[in-house]
Amino acid sequence: MTTTESWVAEARERLALRARREGLAAVGYAVIDSPVGPLWVAVGPQGVSTIHFGREPSAWELRRLVRLFGAAIVPDRARVSRLARELDQYFAGRRRAFEVPADLRGLTPFQGRVLRRTSRIAYGDLATYKTVARSAGNERASRAAGAAVGSNPIPIVVPCHRVVASDGTLGGYGGGLDVKRRLLALERSEVPAGGWPKARA
Amino acid sequence: MSAAPRTFGELLERHEREIFAYALRLTGSRHDADDLYQETFLAAFRAWPPPRRGNERAWLYRIATNKAIDGARSRRRAVSVEDLRLAAPERDGVTLLDLSRAIEVLPEGQRAAFVLRAVEGRPYREVAAALGCSEEAARTRVADAMKKVRAQVR
Repeated sequence: MTTTESWVAEARERLALRARREGLAAVGYAVIDSPVGPLWVAVGPQGVSTIHFGREPSAWELRRLVRLFGAAIVPDRARVSRLARELDQYFAGRRRAFEVPADLRGLTPFQGRVLRRTSRIAYGDLATYKTVARSAGNERASRAAGAAVGSNPIPIVVPCHRVVASDGTLGGYGGGLDVKRRLLALERSEVPAGGWPKARA
Repeated sequence: MSAAPRTFGELLERHEREIFAYALRLTGSRHDADDLYQETFLAAFRAWPPPRRGNERAWLYRIATNKAIDGARSRRRAVSVEDLRLAAPERDGVTLLDLSRAIEVLPEGQRAAFVLRAVEGRPYREVAAALGCSEEAARTRVADAMKKVRAQVR
């Protein structure tokens, strides 16, 4: 980092603080490093609103944030520090549940039900898309439940990696199946030798 | 032309480096540049949305210029050579010390005009947009500033 870049970075931290104090910044975001690659994370007044595998949110995620919070979304490393710390502890195997609240607003009622049900799957446990669909009110909607789980804007904290297909295959994952396998391996010691089976098309 | 920024963060990430550099050139110190950067972006957030799509850059320069002029009215500042060295490369055999002394004596409006045109090499269209005046007036202001700077460094 050059001198001017570091000056800008420090000025930006102070700006974020002042914007927050003035009520100009509803959401703070930052890119944080993790063992599964960089994560773009956003924290708002009601908790974590986005965790995205990558350095930039998807168009859909950004639209959801703008719909919920308007333009008042600023880079703010301090605002996401608690989440970052909890994620660090999770990846180090020292945390089994997140204390930062998950803000699941801005989704369809069905998506919301499915993801709230997903939030209750305990560390190391698994649920099937079918079970999740049933508890969201429609047992036959496991495909729709799969899509709703896939739309999870807060992976890891809302543990959609714990939802798998009824036949024991992994199903899908927004961050890629390798990441899903890795998260499950972190949480479960009895991972089959050679890893988890690949999902079928 | 890129799409209009949808969030404060997008606006900031696109323009914060050049606005900070501009603030550094205008004020001559890191501390004042930091203040000016903050005042500029806070004002932009308060006034959201930007007035014209695709024109956010000129809008930010204008805010920064006005804030710098307001700030200079309330306090007299010195330009340190070290800060100027970071901000403005040496030109035409004029030493940084000469330049810093010369810029120091300019009235704030002329200082902004001089920095935009002579240091940053912006087209007059952008100088005018930043200063909130016509291109003609911007040319006059730059010419006046140049005259004063030349007289100083001679």
